[in-house]
Amino acid sequence: MTDYAQNAASLQLSQPMEIQDTTPKPVRADASKTTLPQPGRPVPSRAYPGALIVVEGTDGSGKSTQLYLLKRWLEIGGYRLHFTEWNSSPLVKSATRRGKQKRLLTPTTFSLLHASDFADRCERQIMPLLQGDYLVLADRYIYTAFARDAARGCAQRWLRNLYRFAPVPDITFYFRTPLDIAVHRILSGRPKLKYYEAGMDMGLSYERAESFRLFQARILEEYDKMVDTDNFVVLDGTLPVNKLQKQMRDIVASKIDLKRFAPRSQEQE
Amino acid sequence: MADQDKEKDKSNPPAPAAEAAAPAAKTPASEQEDAQNFFGEPLVGLDPGELNGTLIVMEGLDGSGRSTQIALLQEWLESEGFAVQTSGLRRSNLVGRDIDELLAKNAVTRLTLALMYATDFFDQLEHRIVPALRSGTVVLADRFIFTLIARSVVRGINRDYLTGLYAMALRPHLTFWLNVRPETAFAREFKKAQAISYWEAGRDMSLSHDLYWSFVRYQTMIKREFEVMAKKNSFIELDGESSVSAVNKQLRQYIGEHLGIRATKYTPSSALAHLWR
Repeated sequence: MTDYAQNAASLQLSQPMEIQDTTPKPVRADASKTTLPQPGRPVPSRAYPGALIVVEGTDGSGKSTQLYLLKRWLEIGGYRLHFTEWNSSPLVKSATRRGKQKRLLTPTTFSLLHASDFADRCERQIMPLLQGDYLVLADRYIYTAFARDAARGCAQRWLRNLYRFAPVPDITFYFRTPLDIAVHRILSGRPKLKYYEAGMDMGLSYERAESFRLFQARILEEYDKMVDTDNFVVLDGTLPVNKLQKQMRDIVASKIDLKRFAPRSQEQE
Repeated sequence: MADQDKEKDKSNPPAPAAEAAAPAAKTPASEQEDAQNFFGEPLVGLDPGELNGTLIVMEGLDGSGRSTQIALLQEWLESEGFAVQTSGLRRSNLVGRDIDELLAKNAVTRLTLALMYATDFFDQLEHRIVPALRSGTVVLADRFIFTLIARSVVRGINRDYLTGLYAMALRPHLTFWLNVRPETAFAREFKKAQAISYWEAGRDMSLSHDLYWSFVRYQTMIKREFEVMAKKNSFIELDGESSVSAVNKQLRQYIGEHLGIRATKYTPSSALAHLWR
């Protein structure tokens, strides 16, 4: 084994690393407290003034609805916020579309393309806004890749390294919804599942709905493994929408100092 | 790889997808085998036992003569009866064109670019290099993970992160490093296009407003990274400043020895004669 292999073998998310910054450091009043984020290094939430809230869960778990309602609540309150969605960077869009249409993607390139998308949003939106004291809401985050790509066979160690540059969320809501309910929600509302969405590339079943079900079961299993290791706040996705939203808002209000993100005028009062 | 392991590999067909996702606990022997074949982590769904070809990598700065040598080697190998496949950066069907566009628009940040290049690399590895190696072809790779790692490291991306990223890259059988001075590289690159491009001068790094110095400083940084990687990855270093024919002769000797070609005499056909200066 060469040093290369040993390096790769010893990689862990929490491992401290030496960093290099080739750009000049900006001079800021509170620069003593903040450090610039470095690619390939985990960003602790103390490194920036903003806050990051993410939602995770299988397709049909109800997470997007709940994050939308949380966003509306905060928007109506006038808080400074930014909303970002998994797989939405315009930069990587055409490649993803081509890869999916022509079915060029393997577990590895599927994962890398989504990591490129995330890196683009992270470098151009998420990190700058967290540094600029924003509340950032993310519909799906790196845990989606950990669950989905691991379900496709990618090595956990490789995936954890791949996303090492991501800021650690302040709150990660995990909407846990039983498989049957989540799958039913998706299948009843959608005329046809897409190839990769149904996990057809894995050859689990020739039938799309069945393949989807088997794929989602694996993803659910991967999510469940992360509950403790990644401090998920588990919510019961079967509760009525408004009850669930109440729980979510209470947790946000208790864990995050929302006043900091309030409109400036309010802040001064 | 021990012979019994080889047999074991051949008797096992590629794991069905259902198993591939949840691999059984690995035996120490297969882990050792993975370390020989990959840089750290096996590629999902690939059985290295079925690869019969030879992977030969050509590394070096812009203007070190890589593509010239690859064109000549391809002709020589084909004349010797070997099937040849080539690969190079930004040539994947998946994202090759997208990277070209990103570079042209200059609208991309360093980590995103690094990951797009990684996507491009693995797409070619899985769809071009591995299929060729399965059929016993000689693959001539114009640049490999070493250039990609060097470019990112000089831009401040963590080295461990990058070696982890490329952990599933296949380990080449031979890696040649055509070593040239950045000053020589500048002269050759300028001669090609009567200009130096934004990226080969590392203009995104704000090293100098002077194009020449920007190029030389950037390429010197890359060269240093090659020096760091050379030992660990058993690069075969060749003097890229000597004549095309002299470099080619050395390459043919090394490759000939590896492939069991006894006579390594070669004169390029008229189509390639212009490269033979």
